[in-house]
Amino acid sequence: MIAQLAMATGFALILIGFYGALTNRNILRMIVAFSVANTGVHLVLVAVGYMNGRTAPILDSAVSATEAVTRIIDPVPQALVLTAIVIGMGVTALMLAFAYKLYEKKRSLDIGKFTELRW
Amino acid sequence: MVSAVYIIIAALAAAFILGFLKEQWRGLAYVITLAALAFMSWVSAGWVWALGWQGAEAVDILTAGTEPPFAINLRMGLPEAVLTLLVNLTGLLSALYLKEVLFRLGRRSLVVLLIAIMALSGIILTRDIFNLFVFFELVVISTGGLILLSDDVQSNSRALSAGFKYLIASQIISVLLLVGIIFAYHATGTLNIDGMAGADLMALQGGVIAFFLMFIAIVAELKPFPANGWALDIYESAHPAFSAIFSAATGAAALYAVDKLLLIGGVSWLPVATAIGIVTFVVSNTLALSQSNDRRLLGYSSIAQIGLVFTVLGQRDILGDDYYYIAFGVLIAHAVGKAGLYWLSGLVAGRGLTDWSALRGHPLLIFAFLTFVFLLVGLPPFPGFYAKWELARYLAAEGRLALLALILFGALIEAGYLFRWFGYIIKRERPAQGVVSDPLKQVVIFAAVVAGWAMAFLWGELSGRANLLLALPLLFALAFLLLEWLPAWFKNIVAISGLVGYFAMTYTEYDPLRLIFIIIFTLGGALTLLASFHTSGKRIGFYPGAMLMYAGLVMLIRATDSFDFFAAWELLTIGSYFLILRGKHSEPHALSYAIFSLAGAFSILAGFALAADGAVHFTIQSLSEVATPLAPWVFILLAVGFMTKTAAIGLHIWLPGAHAEAETDVSPMVSGILLKAGLYGLMMLMLGMGIQELHGIKLNYVMLWIGALSALLGNLMAIFEEDAKRLLAYSSIGQMGYALFGLALMNHLGWLMALMFVINHYIYKSMLFMSVGGVAKRTGTRDMYRMGGLITLMPLSFIAVMIGIIAVSGVPPLSGFGGRWIFYNAIMSSEYRLPMLIIFLSVPVAFLYLFRLIHTIFLGQLKDEHRRIKEAPFWLILPQMIYVACLLVFALVPGIALRHVDRYLNDFFPNGGLGWDGLLITSQYGYWSPINIMIIIGVIFMLLFFWLLFVNRKAQKVKQFNIVFSAERPYRPETTHFAWNFFAPYRKALGFMVQPFVTLFWNTITDFLHAAANLVRRLYTGNGQTYAYHLLLFVVVVFFVRMGV
Repeated sequence: MIAQLAMATGFALILIGFYGALTNRNILRMIVAFSVANTGVHLVLVAVGYMNGRTAPILDSAVSATEAVTRIIDPVPQALVLTAIVIGMGVTALMLAFAYKLYEKKRSLDIGKFTELRW
Repeated sequence: MVSAVYIIIAALAAAFILGFLKEQWRGLAYVITLAALAFMSWVSAGWVWALGWQGAEAVDILTAGTEPPFAINLRMGLPEAVLTLLVNLTGLLSALYLKEVLFRLGRRSLVVLLIAIMALSGIILTRDIFNLFVFFELVVISTGGLILLSDDVQSNSRALSAGFKYLIASQIISVLLLVGIIFAYHATGTLNIDGMAGADLMALQGGVIAFFLMFIAIVAELKPFPANGWALDIYESAHPAFSAIFSAATGAAALYAVDKLLLIGGVSWLPVATAIGIVTFVVSNTLALSQSNDRRLLGYSSIAQIGLVFTVLGQRDILGDDYYYIAFGVLIAHAVGKAGLYWLSGLVAGRGLTDWSALRGHPLLIFAFLTFVFLLVGLPPFPGFYAKWELARYLAAEGRLALLALILFGALIEAGYLFRWFGYIIKRERPAQGVVSDPLKQVVIFAAVVAGWAMAFLWGELSGRANLLLALPLLFALAFLLLEWLPAWFKNIVAISGLVGYFAMTYTEYDPLRLIFIIIFTLGGALTLLASFHTSGKRIGFYPGAMLMYAGLVMLIRATDSFDFFAAWELLTIGSYFLILRGKHSEPHALSYAIFSLAGAFSILAGFALAADGAVHFTIQSLSEVATPLAPWVFILLAVGFMTKTAAIGLHIWLPGAHAEAETDVSPMVSGILLKAGLYGLMMLMLGMGIQELHGIKLNYVMLWIGALSALLGNLMAIFEEDAKRLLAYSSIGQMGYALFGLALMNHLGWLMALMFVINHYIYKSMLFMSVGGVAKRTGTRDMYRMGGLITLMPLSFIAVMIGIIAVSGVPPLSGFGGRWIFYNAIMSSEYRLPMLIIFLSVPVAFLYLFRLIHTIFLGQLKDEHRRIKEAPFWLILPQMIYVACLLVFALVPGIALRHVDRYLNDFFPNGGLGWDGLLITSQYGYWSPINIMIIIGVIFMLLFFWLLFVNRKAQKVKQFNIVFSAERPYRPETTHFAWNFFAPYRKALGFMVQPFVTLFWNTITDFLHAAANLVRRLYTGNGQTYAYHLLLFVVVVFFVRMGV
């Protein structure tokens, strides 16, 4: 149940993010919207890996290696989500850098103002 | 072998070291970067060598010492080796090219560049889907970083906004990809691509959607239409060396990623790939038509080419072992050509296409440009050519004809705008700013040129066919590129000796039919080249073009395999295009020639592909074995291709301009000689396939009509021409119509007549073009009404024209009459009455225009400005006099050539041959004795001549204006020589028949294409948000189309 809820929330966040990115003309708002969508993706990733009633995939005194297969959740999605978060942060930082530069050039953050290149 | 993982390690290590260097140590940082890229290239090259030549096996590299799926594995096989070599070399060369920029930007930019190249190699090597995602994101970040950094100095916000649009698109892509990956993992329990392929993802719950999301995300990296506005903006605004990486390396890596994904998707996703690929290919090429910015045009072209490779990926199910040969043929040709053109664009200051005329005066750069264009268009001898041929063969065999047609259509449009561009370079005014002279950049460009030619050789070797780059005629033609620094007269001697020498070497190898053609192509070619002695200087570009055409012509005659035949056909087409383009005002005409010829060539390609039915080798002789449901279509495709070359009516509009605007010594080559290639093709076709029927209509009957109409309309258009060379050009359309008619009669005499026309037309049309060209050279105009009274000033030219028109018009005693005589015999023995009438009608029409050549140029009143002109140059007159001699000899003893052919034709058309009894020639209707006719005509001529001298003996010589005319005394030659709009009454009488319907038709088509392109490209509004909509819309449409079917 909790997994489904997380997944639904995740997809909702993705949709909200896309909606925001497509409707806001302000570059900063678009970046925020994409961050929301990314968070949604991360949530979906984790939700897919979740298994009811199991524990975190950490092998220590509580969970021994032999019983790990039956007791811990799948560690792969968690590894993936960490990577995805790092990459997402990188891209977001880069987008912000772009936004800064673009603003420097035109004193505007309206995406519709940067259309010299077209057709 | 150095493990492939060192490609990634080297880049990372170098990037890491760069971090420790002082900002000022730019030289060291740059050297480290170059060393890393060179090392990476070396590793890839080592693998290419080991896997490709030494038979090594592909290896898997286990990164964590554990088998997949528990750890990421990389694979190094031949495709990976080739692709990483491509990526790393592009990176290395671009780094060299960017030296100045990278020095200015410092080590940060070097790090980003290294990461970009490393990530691209990673995309190619990895077998792990999530790892693939990581590398893609690395590419995105490094690409964005490069744009951001290079913006610092260029202060150009255009690149910046393009980069931001790219990031928006990549955000959407990464969301789709991640969601797809996690559900695919959920379904299959593995992240390994091969593992997923083995787990049959499609059959699992949610598998289709998971795959769709991954697939569409990676496909979006290929910049499919219409979700590619961001890519176009990057192509247009980024530094050209970066665009080179973006086009060649990123494109290649993304394609390979899709190729890997298709392993998971299986055969059912191939049609999706095909559809997206072909739509992108055709639409992007069409949109490129209306571009005037060079880099944006190259961007459209890049997207189109990637689309084409994607289409090839979609044919994986039928291409079998040739899959990689074809896909890499197209891909490498694209990568080398596009990278080369982007690098080249860095040398040109202006961004308009016409600004590239700055290249003029730099023959080496023009050669580089042409190499790249040849690579892109897929012309012989480059890899794309072989790939195109094999692809067409498979598509035709599998019945994917619509796809084949679309590919050829797109390729034609691409050739159209690339050759138009080349025309600008050669013909437009040079801009004030010349070419940036930067030796390092030029080294990079020529490295690409060398790579292109090396690939041409390699693909020839791998083709399993004769390597075109080892064909002696082609090598001879290419050798003239090395002789370009020598004076024209020397090159002319080499060219003539080459043609004559080749004939001497091989003349024993031909049957009589081919012998006639080879004589015209080699000895005839040598004869027209005599006229080229009149030029001075180096004449750069003339000889490679001319010899390329002759090489193609010779190879055409020698070809037995359909592949060799088609390759020769394209070579002669390109060579003649270069020749035609040399004329002063020939830019549009050369282009229309190139487009029509290439369209014709594609029609031939499709015809052969259809006929071969999948067979690897298909000889010209086997045309006779093509079975019925296919045969008429093969016949039509091939016939249309050949008739484009003979300028049959409807396909003729390129000819008048091309032949008339060409240089004086080029017109005889492209008219007298080149047109025969089309007739030769038709002969091969009709000898092989005989009479074909489609829906009860005999196709040779259709051709009979086309021939008759060409004869009539060609002649009709000729009579209204004021321009002497255009008149001759239109006349060629008529003459080729006769020849086509003769062939289409499909009887012995018809063919004999066609061959007679082949010989005659070569002699008199070459001669007339030379004499008219000589006159035009002296008078400075080609308009006949501006000439007049030149008979005394240019007597030798007059004799040549006089003899020429007697021969053309087919009146006794010259060889034209022989042609007519055989012709009348031929049509008397056939039952086609109506087209026959038309042919009869066109004969007197020919008199009308031929008469003007004498009346308007040589008779009438000498114009004031021409009073001091001299006879045409010696080297123009000499071949004309030789032609006069040839015509007389051929008129007296036509048997020297024809009796052998006559005997040869007996094998194909046993009945109706002529009797060759000494000098007397007999048919079933009568006889023809050339010598007697010559004597009779000679006697009549002399009698009349002496009678004229007798009655004129008391005539009084008067000055030019010592006359009174309609009670007025004229004082200007123009008013006493009625020459302009000479046949105005006929024009009025003919009414609609002389309207240029065909030109109108073709113009409408090109206008429509341009208008459509202009309309559709408004889609790319420049707004990054709109591009995001496009991308999402694309995803949704593909989803519904895929799920709907």
